[in-house]
Formats: sequence, structure tokens, C-alpha cells
Amino acid sequence: MGYCVSIKRMNEILKELQKEYKIYAPVRFEKRGRYSDTDLIRYAEINSIEDVVYDEKSDFSPKEVIYPITQALFYFTEYEYMESKIDDKKILIFARPCDINGFRRLDTIFLKNGGTEDIYYKRLREKVKFILMECKEGGWDSCFCVSMGSNKTDDYSLAVRFEDDNILVEIKDDEFTNLFGDEREVEFTPEFVTSNPTKVNIPEIDSYELLKKIYDLDMWKSYNSRCISCGACTAVCITCSCFTTLDVTYTENGKVGERRRVHASCMHEDFTIMAGGLSFRKTAGERMRFRTLHKIYDYKLRFKDEHMCVGCGRCDERCPELISFAATINRLYDEVKKLKKAETTKDIK
Amino acid sequence: MSYDIDIKKVRRNCYRQSKVRGEFMLQIRVPGGVIDAKYLSFFQHIAETWGNGEFHLGVRQTISIPGIKYEYIDEVNKYIRPYIEEIEVNLCGVDMVVDDNGYPTIGARNIMACIGNRHCIKANIDTTDLARKIEKVIFPSDYHIKLNISGCPNDCAKAHVSDIGIIGITKTEYDYDRCIGCKKCVEACAHHATRVLSVEKGKIVKDSCCCVGCGECVLVCPTGAWTRNPKKFYRILIGGRTGKQTPRMGKIFLNWVTEDVVLGVLKNWEIFSAYVMNNKPEYIHGGHLIDRVGYNKFKEMILKDVKLNPEAMVAERVLWAETEYRSNFNVKPVTQR
Amino acid sequence: MSVNIMLPTPHKIIDIIRETGNEYTFRIETNAKVKHGQFFQVSLPKVGEAPISVSAMGDGWVELTIRKVGKVTNEIFNLKPGDKIFMRGPYGNSFPVDDFKGKDLVVIAGGTGVSPVRSLLKYFYEHPAEIHSLHLIAGFKDEKSILFKEDLSNFRKRFNTIYTLDKDKIEGFEVGFVTEHIKKIPFDSFENYNVVIVGPPVMMHFAALECLKNGVPEGKIWLSFERKMSCGVGKCGHCKINETYVCLEGPVFNYTKAKNLLD
Ligand SMILES: Cc1cc2nc3c(=O)[nH]c(=O)nc-3n(C[C@H](O)[C@H](O)[C@H](O)COP(=O)(O)OP(=O)(O)OC[C@H]3O[C@@H](n4cnc5c(N)ncnc54)[C@H](O)[C@@H]3O)c2cc1C
Ligand code: SF4
Ligand code: SF4
Ligand code: SF4
Ligand code: SF4
Ligand code: SF4
Ligand code: FES
Repeated sequence: MGYCVSIKRMNEILKELQKEYKIYAPVRFEKRGRYSDTDLIRYAEINSIEDVVYDEKSDFSPKEVIYPITQALFYFTEYEYMESKIDDKKILIFARPCDINGFRRLDTIFLKNGGTEDIYYKRLREKVKFILMECKEGGWDSCFCVSMGSNKTDDYSLAVRFEDDNILVEIKDDEFTNLFGDEREVEFTPEFVTSNPTKVNIPEIDSYELLKKIYDLDMWKSYNSRCISCGACTAVCITCSCFTTLDVTYTENGKVGERRRVHASCMHEDFTIMAGGLSFRKTAGERMRFRTLHKIYDYKLRFKDEHMCVGCGRCDERCPELISFAATINRLYDEVKKLKKAETTKDIK
Repeated sequence: MSYDIDIKKVRRNCYRQSKVRGEFMLQIRVPGGVIDAKYLSFFQHIAETWGNGEFHLGVRQTISIPGIKYEYIDEVNKYIRPYIEEIEVNLCGVDMVVDDNGYPTIGARNIMACIGNRHCIKANIDTTDLARKIEKVIFPSDYHIKLNISGCPNDCAKAHVSDIGIIGITKTEYDYDRCIGCKKCVEACAHHATRVLSVEKGKIVKDSCCCVGCGECVLVCPTGAWTRNPKKFYRILIGGRTGKQTPRMGKIFLNWVTEDVVLGVLKNWEIFSAYVMNNKPEYIHGGHLIDRVGYNKFKEMILKDVKLNPEAMVAERVLWAETEYRSNFNVKPVTQR
Repeated sequence: MSVNIMLPTPHKIIDIIRETGNEYTFRIETNAKVKHGQFFQVSLPKVGEAPISVSAMGDGWVELTIRKVGKVTNEIFNLKPGDKIFMRGPYGNSFPVDDFKGKDLVVIAGGTGVSPVRSLLKYFYEHPAEIHSLHLIAGFKDEKSILFKEDLSNFRKRFNTIYTLDKDKIEGFEVGFVTEHIKKIPFDSFENYNVVIVGPPVMMHFAALECLKNGVPEGKIWLSFERKMSCGVGKCGHCKINETYVCLEGPVFNYTKAKNLLD
């Protein structure tokens, strides 16, 4: 069922929803961008529908809402420790199809991998309902959701299209029907992007022999001088889930403190460093290879259904060194094609 | 041809004497170094019609057209009238009457600026915009001032060797929860700037005293934990100069001041100069004026009616470090004081 | 609410045995069911967590042999018997002990690498009937670094042992790296056997190559990996190599798998 809702009414409805929900959406932080006089768009709680930045791609993904960058796990006092607590409000997130599909990847890591559930993720994830935000036609320049098959979803409670004075709303979740009961009914279901300007070809890696050759490709070395290992690409990624735990004390005497986790990046030099200084993947190129293969090869090998990358393109947009992940995938595809061709000609000989 | 020319008068109109008798080079003002590309054909026309067909990118970012014969100066002045009108009056809002006599004065020199945040990834301010606002304040004035604006403490526009140097700085703000303790900002600050950041308990600690406000930490931070305060801040350097006798680096006068303070200070420059030179403008570097009356007098006059913003910091004193090409250059006979 | 996999529980330290100057064995009270080769996430509140292998186990206790190298391990070394230490686990897979039973077993261990196989060795020491033969090559850097001296001398009685120090010459020890002694193992005389290799990555790499050179089939070689770990339960991503999580599918890997773990 669809409704046409005025902005004023939408704000009243949001107010009503706020009694039970924290509502998150991409929000503009003016002049907080990386460069002077540029804005930063990231997820934050909204107070009115006008806060929602619907016509641009957000710099950061909505993962931070339920997988905070810094998250306390336990609090310690001198003799006791206790699990960190959360608010009991439910959560509504304005999200694009790629991001909703991205959350499924996070679910896989946090709720399925190793056959265990991470309660810190779960307790927030359980509270989430999605409001699907329609994308503009074709998406944005760096989007390649269609190539990754993540351009569509039906995992949402509400779907919205922003028009000049009105918002079209589709309601899939009965919980919300009453709120919209008095609005003008219209035919509306969201449209999904069916083609992006950016396209990627995912290489088919079907043997360890091929994988070994991929590891040795020269293309990775080109990133040694290009990539500054800043980790911006993983920080913005909807599907990057890595973290490091650490303990801290609050006071000089060290009696109270917490165990927390913070996001980590496999692009950082110290991601694999062990006590004693031994580390793996010492060069930026090796780390780029690791990230690339995680996103478009080994995650799927492990979990079968889908690749980790959903093609949101944020890593492309955010890389300060103008390294395009889409271009990296396509470069790999070409290299793999060459490797396969060399293999078949060898067979014929 | 034999010439009888008042070269002082011609210079006032921004024509510089050439080694070729009777030839001059016109220095066209481009405040902040940025103007519409359409003026290229205008400059071309002057160079090809009255000059020797060449032009020089003036070191102070003027468009300089050499080889103009004295007898063409009147014609050229007529031709540049609309340019002066468009740039000085319309673009910069300078309060002046434009006539057929060319530039009214060369006193306040062309304002130099780096490209700033219209293009540069390191810049903290829109230097072009600031240059145009300042042009309105300092031009036309017979009192000499060389003013350079840099978008960040890299100081590509050499604010450190100008009478008044302005550097765009940023007050960075730290979001504790967004920080992942990756130390990228710590490394960047140590590499590019003043090593004021360190990690303690997985988060950043900053020794704010010595932050130069460059924003390198913002540029490198992967999570957006460091951002710029949207308010723009400036550092003002004074007394820098080049020259044959005692070149020296400018020293910090004000730090963390707002645009209003910058403009307020510059409004007082003419008054200060006039005071030191008894209302007789001559070509003399600003640093010498400050030296003549002392820093404290300068400070008092230049900050008159300027309302400092709460973040502002003012130098208590200035310790100059000159390059003395003659030792004891500053030690002079009593008669020459 | 489901169980919190990050939640550690306090355990009493029963005894502390000084193995070397910077390696102590902590005997800790626990009823956890542990398999040979598994590890615990050991922690001290306000200091941090560290993955530590079980080096021995018994009724109501496990032993952890810890090398003092940094923040957490330094602090653990200040603990006294009776103090509490926090643990969660055990995690990871284990050596396929049932597969080893009744066959010949070769164990090649270097330095602290002895610790994750110690419980396995102790098991076969205590149940000699369950193994056809056991050849142990254990190597240490120097005399100061020798771990588990008492166990090593016991093992001499029931196993075929080669103990070696990198350079020093002392009574009962050969000289040279463990890899140099692998050729002494009578692989040809075994009917059915397995080889376990544990130690620093470089040592494991060369020991495995040496075994292959001596005709050991890949499928008979088992290695125990060490990687940076933050969670131990397949969430943090630090230990991942290809599609494999060392904390979940490891730390013990058969060579056929291990050789494809490309870092
Ligand atoms: C499966 C497994 C089993 C293990 N079994 C044992 C065992 O039985 N006995 C034993 O003694 N050890 C064992 N270890 C190693 C042990 O976990 C580490 O020595 C321990 O984590 C060190 O912790 P720490 O806080 O004392 O050291 P720290 O050096 O303070 O290390 C703290 C953290 O920082 C990282 N780090 C270290 N150096 C650097 C650096 N230069 N830059 C950035 N980060 C750094 C480390 O990786 C560590 O996660 C095992 C490891 C694994 C993975
Ligand atoms: S790898 Fe890049 S394109 Fe793919 S999901 Fe992550 S941020 Fe988006
Ligand atoms: S790409 Fe790197 S940071 Fe992202 S999930 Fe994979 S291992 Fe973690
Ligand atoms: S954002 Fe770019 S430079 Fe930074 S780590 Fe990623 S690929 Fe490298
Ligand atoms: S702005 Fe300050 S803290 Fe940041 S890099 Fe520059 S000097 Fe360092
Ligand atoms: S670069 Fe950003 S995330 Fe990294 S330590 Fe500095 S503030 Fe924290
Ligand atoms: S240690 Fe965290 S995923 Fe393996």
C-alpha cells in the first residue's frame, strides 16, 4: 500500500515514531568533510525529515548505527565487571538497497561465523527496521550495486521516495499502517536501479593453482606506491566488520576501566602484527590483495551465497589517493583472463 | 628619440621603468592571483598592440606587460579602464573612482595568494575570496604594503616574507567515539607538522599549545574523527621582508583570529603607516615601520577598535631574526638615527 | 539473551612453575573440557586479552605456559598462586589424537612451540599403549630457553627423543636446528605415521619442507599456526587467511590445507 505524505505530516509522524524509535538517516555535517568547505554526510539521529540527505551518497555507511566505531563490552571496577548496557528504544534506519544487503553480510559474520552469536551486535540488530530510500536513476557515479546483485531488496518495513513537497511511502510492515491511515493513498512501490555507469566483472577463481598465481601478480605491487594504508576504504565500507579489543583504565590509579572494541582495518600495517613484531602482509600491495580477495572471492567461498562487497562504491569515493576499488576488481578480472588464456594455450601445446 | 619623463609619476600608475629608454612595463593587478580566463585575450591585446608581444607572470601575481613605449601610456590607460572597473570596483568592491588615467597608485601592492581551498586539498580557507575582501580595505592607498595570503601553514604564498602575512588555519575537533586509535594522525602530524599528537589508552591526546592548525590530521583520519571547526581562523605574521640589507622572516603577531579581526587590523594599517611616516608615504617595508616605533606601539595602533574573538592569541613581544649582510648594520652613528 | 561469547570468567591460579626467566607455567583451576592443541583467551581486566595454548590438563585444571612479551603477559607475571585470572574458551580445533592412536608419531617442536604439543606428549607418555612409537625432536635456542625440563627427561624414557640447542653444546643435547635432525627419523620403518610440527613460522616452514624431502606425504603433516587474534571466535577478522579463520578452523592444520593458506 502506498501513501502520499506532506513534509509537515511526515514530521508529525516521525515525532510519533520517536516515542519508540531512534531514527537514523544520512545527515549533512556542514564543512566537516575531509577538505576545507566540504561537507561530511554520515549517519546520525534525525529530528525532522528535512535532515535526511536523500539525494547524495553518504560518505560513511549505516553500519555505525548498530556496530559503533567504539563500543564498550565490559566495565570494570576494582572487584567487579559488568556487561555494557544499551538503550531500550528500537531503531529505524533510512537505508539504500546496497546497505540493507550489506547488513546481511555483517549478520553473517557476527551472528553465524563460527556458529556463535556476538551479543553486542545482536542486541542492536534485533531492534532494527529499515526504511528503504529509493536511489536516483542509475545510482551515483561510483555505485556498482547491479554488478554485485545488491541493487534490490525486499527487506524493509517502509520505503520512501522524496518528491519536492511530498514523500511517497510504501508500507510493508503492518506495525506502521495506523500511523499513515489518514494520508492520501497512491500507487507506490520503490524502483530499484537496474544499471550503473560503473560496472565490474568478478573473476572466477576456481583453483588454488590460479589463486597462487593471483597472489604473485605484479598488479598488487603497483599499490605499494599508490596506497598510503590509511584505512579510509574499510572505515566507510558497509561490509567491513573487523575490530580490535583493548582494555583501558579511566583513572590514574587504574581501578576502574573498560574492555572495548574499536573498528580495525586490514589495510593498516599493524593488523597482523603479533607480540615480538612478527607480521604478515607487510606491504600495501599485499594488504590491497587481501582486502580485494576478501570482498570478491573468499567470503563467498566460505559462506556460499554472495560476495562480501555490495558495490556501494564508498571506498572509491573516500580513497584520498584516488584508488578505485571497481577499477581494481576489473584489473584483476583482466589479469585472471590472461592467466587462464596462458593456461589453455599451454594445454594445447 | 629623447625622453623627458617623470618616472615617479608613471610608476604611481603602475608602470615600471625599463632599461630601454622610454619603455615601461605595466603591472596589472590581479588580487589574490585569480580572475576569469576571459581576461587573457584582454592582456594579449595590450601586449600585442602596445607592448613587445610578451607578458611576464609578475612575482607578485600581477600580469606584467613589458615594452610599452611612454607615448602609448595614455592609450593603454584608457584601454584598461573597464578592467579596473570590473576587477577593483565590481569584483572587490573597492571604493574608488575609475577614470582614463589608469591605476591611481602603486602603494598597496597587489595581494598575493596561493590558490587556496577553491582547489588545494591542503588549504583551510578561500584565499581568493579573502584577497578580494582585503583589496577593498587596502586599495587604493599610497602607503606601501606587501600582503601575502596562504591557505595553510605550508605557506606556498610566502606570508613569512611579507609586511603582513596571512595564513589560513583550522581548529580541528576530535570525536572520541569515532577514533579507532590507528595513529595515522599522529604520524601525519609528526611528518608534516609539529608532533603534537600521541595515543594514550587507544585514543588521541593533543598538546594544543603547539598545533599549527594545518589540518593534516583531518586529511588522513580514516573515520572522520578529526574534522575542521566550520569557523575559519587565521594567523597573522608581521614584519617579514626580502631585500638587499636585512631580509628577515615575519613573526607571528596574531593567532586563531577571525576574518573580522584580519580586516579590522588591515583597516588600521594606513593609519599606522601615516603615523610613523608623518603622513608622507614613502617606499619602505612594513617591518621597518614597526621597528621605528617599536612593537608595542604598533600593536596598540593596529588593534585599535579591533574586537578580538575569544579564541584569539596576541604576541606579547616579537624577537626578530634578521639576516645581516653587513655585521652591525643596525649600529649607526647618532647623526643618522 | 544468548550467551556472551566475549565474557571471561575468573579462575584461581593453583600454582606457578618457573620454566625459564621469562616463561612461566600457570596451573589454573577449571573444569573446562579441553582438547590437545586448543587455546584460551586469557585476560586481566583493565589490561587486556591474549590467546594462550593449553600446555597440559588434568582433573579440574589446565596449565598455560606463558612467555612474558608485552602488556598482558607482563601483568600476568605479577600474579601469585591464589590470584584470579580471567579466561574464555577453550577455542580452536585440536590435534586429531584419535587418528594418531596406534600409529607412529613424530613431533618436531621449536622453542615455545613445545607448549601447544606438551599436553599431547604427556597424554601419550601416560598412555604408552595407545601409540606405536613416538619420536620427539625438540629444539631450543640455548640452555636458558629450555622449557619443561622435567617432562623432557621423562619423555626420554618412553619416546625416541632428540633434543637440540641452536649453538650451545651441553650434556644430553645435540647441536643445530631441529630441521637438521629430521633426517635421523626412520620414516622408512614406519607403517602408518603422522608428523606434528610446531614452532615459529619460519621453523615450521623449513621443517615441513625437510619432512617432504624425506618422503613424508603432505597429508601426514600437522602444523599449529599462530596469528594475531583479538576475539578467538571468528568475529574480529585479524586471524583470517584466505577464507580460513585460524581461530576457528585452526590453529591446527593439515599440511595439505596449510600450504594453501597464502598470507
Ligand atoms: C593460538 C595462539 C596460541 C598462543 N599460545 C601461546 C602460549 O601458549 N604461550 C605464549 O606465551 N604465547 C602464546 N601465544 C602468543 C600470545 O598470544 C602473545 O604473546 C600475547 O598476545 C602477547 O600479549 P601482550 O599483551 O603481553 O603483548 P603486547 O606486545 O603488549 O601485545 C599486545 C597486542 O599488540 C600487538 N602488538 C605487539 N607488538 C606490536 C607492535 N610493535 N605494534 C603494534 N601492535 C603490536 C600484539 O599482537 C598484541 O595483540 C599464542 C598466540 C596464539 C594466536
Ligand atoms: S568494498 Fe567498497 S564498494 Fe564494496 S561494499 Fe565495501 S565500500 Fe562498498
Ligand atoms: S576487507 Fe579487511 S577490514 Fe574489511 S572485513 Fe575484510 S579483513 Fe576486515
Ligand atoms: S583508502 Fe585508498 S589509500 Fe587509504 S588504505 Fe584504502 S586504498 Fe589505500
Ligand atoms: S592541525 Fe595541529 S594536530 Fe593536526 S596535524 Fe596540524 S599541527 Fe598536528
Ligand atoms: S587518524 Fe583518526 S582514527 Fe586514527 S588515531 Fe587519529 S583521530 Fe583516531
Ligand atoms: S581471532 Fe578474531 S576472527 Fe579469529
